Amino acid sequence: MTEKKGEKTSGNGWEPRIVAFLCNWCSYAGADLAGVSRIQYPPNVRVIRVPCSGRINPLFVVKALQTGADGVLVSGCHPGDCHYISGNLYARRKFALLKSLLEYVGIEPERVQFSWVSAAEGVRFAEILGKVIEAVRAVGPASKMVKELEEVT
Amino acid sequence: MLEVTLDKSKLQELLKLLGTDRRLVAPVVDKLGTVFSEITDPSLVCLEAVNTNLSPKETVFPQWETLYTFEGNQIDKAELQIEETVLFGVRPCDARAFELLDRVFTWDGVNDPYYLKRREKTLVVALACNAPGEACFCTSVGGSPASESGADVLGFDLGDCLLLRALTDRGKTLLNSVSSLTTAATEEEKKAAQNAASEAEKLLKPVAVPEDLAALKESFDAEMWKELGLKCLGCGVCAYACPTCHCFDITDEARKGAGRRVRSWDTCAFSLFTLHGSGHNPRTTQDERYRQRVLHKFLYCRENFGEAFCVGCGRCVASCPAGLDLRAVLERLASTAKVT
Amino acid sequence: MSQVEEALKKEVAKLFEEETIDLFVGHEPAGVPLKTSACFLSSADEAKRLVWNASCATNLAAYLPQLFKRPGGVKGEWIAPRVGVVAKGCDSRSIVGLIKEKQIPRDRLFVIGVGCEGMIDRHKAAGALGTMGLAEAKIDGSSLQVIGTDGTQKRVELAEVLADSCRECQHRSAVLFDVALSETSVQAPETSRYADVAEFESKSLDERWEFLVSEFSRCIRCYACREACPNCYCQECFADETAPKWLGVTTDLPDVFVFHLGRALHQAGRCVDCGACVAACPQGIDLRLLNQKINKDVEELFGVQSSLSLEEAEALLSFRMEDDQSFMTEP
Repeated sequence: MTEKKGEKTSGNGWEPRIVAFLCNWCSYAGADLAGVSRIQYPPNVRVIRVPCSGRINPLFVVKALQTGADGVLVSGCHPGDCHYISGNLYARRKFALLKSLLEYVGIEPERVQFSWVSAAEGVRFAEILGKVIEAVRAVGPASKMVKELEEVT
Repeated sequence: MLEVTLDKSKLQELLKLLGTDRRLVAPVVDKLGTVFSEITDPSLVCLEAVNTNLSPKETVFPQWETLYTFEGNQIDKAELQIEETVLFGVRPCDARAFELLDRVFTWDGVNDPYYLKRREKTLVVALACNAPGEACFCTSVGGSPASESGADVLGFDLGDCLLLRALTDRGKTLLNSVSSLTTAATEEEKKAAQNAASEAEKLLKPVAVPEDLAALKESFDAEMWKELGLKCLGCGVCAYACPTCHCFDITDEARKGAGRRVRSWDTCAFSLFTLHGSGHNPRTTQDERYRQRVLHKFLYCRENFGEAFCVGCGRCVASCPAGLDLRAVLERLASTAKVT
Repeated sequence: MSQVEEALKKEVAKLFEEETIDLFVGHEPAGVPLKTSACFLSSADEAKRLVWNASCATNLAAYLPQLFKRPGGVKGEWIAPRVGVVAKGCDSRSIVGLIKEKQIPRDRLFVIGVGCEGMIDRHKAAGALGTMGLAEAKIDGSSLQVIGTDGTQKRVELAEVLADSCRECQHRSAVLFDVALSETSVQAPETSRYADVAEFESKSLDERWEFLVSEFSRCIRCYACREACPNCYCQECFADETAPKWLGVTTDLPDVFVFHLGRALHQAGRCVDCGACVAACPQGIDLRLLNQKINKDVEELFGVQSSLSLEEAEALLSFRMEDDQSFMTEP
């Protein structure tokens, strides 16, 4: 296994691992703008580009937590600006329920966060990501939903 | 035959002794009835329920287990570390089921090392029944409330004491190891045990179980399976609660080329049970699948192992969310030579 | 036999005699006390098999999609018998949901609506006897007499052994029916709705997690909850998909959580709190803790309850520009 269980403790050189689901037309473009503008932000994020925030199956977020992501950011176009008109509006309802359910079952709310970031908001994207990373750093490595494959019955 | 008596006031001490240097698994109170659980505090043991919600087969055939781990092409078949275990308070139906499972896991000379290692390390202390449970019918399928099959020790609840009878050499050794707590059983006590057993048998409601294999074969095309298939929800409750069901699936769990191969419980009632890699499924309807469950237990296993794979514990009847009653199905199959 | 049961048998016999239906789905007694089994009748003679009482907890809507085939897909013709079914409030809501999701055709269905004062949770009834099995049960007015396999007798108030979903039920009469045999005006008090969820929410984050871990560690992945649920009719459930593989098949806790969270989320805006999942679970897991939380959120955030009318769009199939986004870190 590439990661041993013991390594993942706060203060052991652990760095938060954030998975960011970004919609292609707005948030991904915004992240790209941050890069092109050479805006510095921490490297703790893995970006997954989706065509629209409406493509996000809540299971993506749950699965990310299960495979060991310490935090998940989901970002799309501002309501009214969706490239597919209403994808983000349907998504907003799903996200509200998902966020509420995950906190209800006991997953730290800092671990799953949502934002609307447009293609022009490079600076804002970097700021949001920075905030998310620090918030996850404060709650420590994820353990509750994480599936450990070293475990033998 | 070694038979000793234990005063019930010494039961806790006995359990503590049995659990010394061993894992003790016995029924404890759970949300629904009782369940077999590994215990460190003997005062939690509850022997009041006739039987536990799920069968004790988990001790020798867990819901899941890792067969081996791998990293790339490296396979690591770590030696299975199983602790010496005493399974206490198993009812004779469930003990008999172990004997049936033994046949499956050593069939045709193919010995399942995972099952056998656990089985070898598990000492079974059975407890005879004084009365039937909700849906019991052990005597109708070749068992009895005091059956000796599959256990190392058989206990009888005589009210203020337990009579313990060694059935195997291991059982004898076990009873000898707790001799400080027991006394030799008196003739009276032995008779009381026998009476308890025959009284319990009388309380059972007999179920007509089909014995004619040819007639069972013919029932394959009967109309009765259609409605049963409509009723059956296709979940895994009956097979998972059943002490003799033994089907399993093997799946891999891996991340970046490293992980483990696991085996987990499966059931012929699931719609995907017989789904082939090609996409073809020979049993696409629930009536075919329900028919398969019943015929496997009462026809094919008889052909393969000489006995029906049912010990009459009644759990499938009690727990079926669709309200299916195996006893009624068996009566229907047994009632006419030519079944419709 | 109650008046409603008599009326039901008569109505069903009539439906067959007048050739209004080809098949009727109802309840018949199962082999153990306080349990019924779905029955599939095809003639007037068989109407006598039917019962209607406080053990008819099964949601019969779960049995309907399998009776209809639509080879041409959503635009194709139904190859369908005309099916009659008896439905209490929750069953009828499930039927509304299934019609809206195009799993059953409205025009091939004849619904006999009945009012319901609550169904008995047989685990609670048996629980009155401790760990002893349940041999017999008799309803006597507003109380239930239970007799254990050892002969012990206990009497409990029916209200104490009603299913949790029935205690808070607001929709006791069928919302969709072709003929109504009875209504019921027994209303749950407004204050008790979502009480279990509110109580759970009052615990701390870690207390909630610990509780759910102990509750779901009993899950054996039998899928009884899924199979008993009328809304779970997918040909291939996400839990069985291998490409992608969303979760493992074992009782490893993270996999158990992915399954139950996934299923609860798939029920969002569709779950009618019929309690079939809880009744089906052989381990007594309180699945309603998850489903009712989502139902509560759907009602509070989007102002709708699942499947009350054929005309109303499902909560997750609609949106408003002003939908709440206070949950977002950076809206």
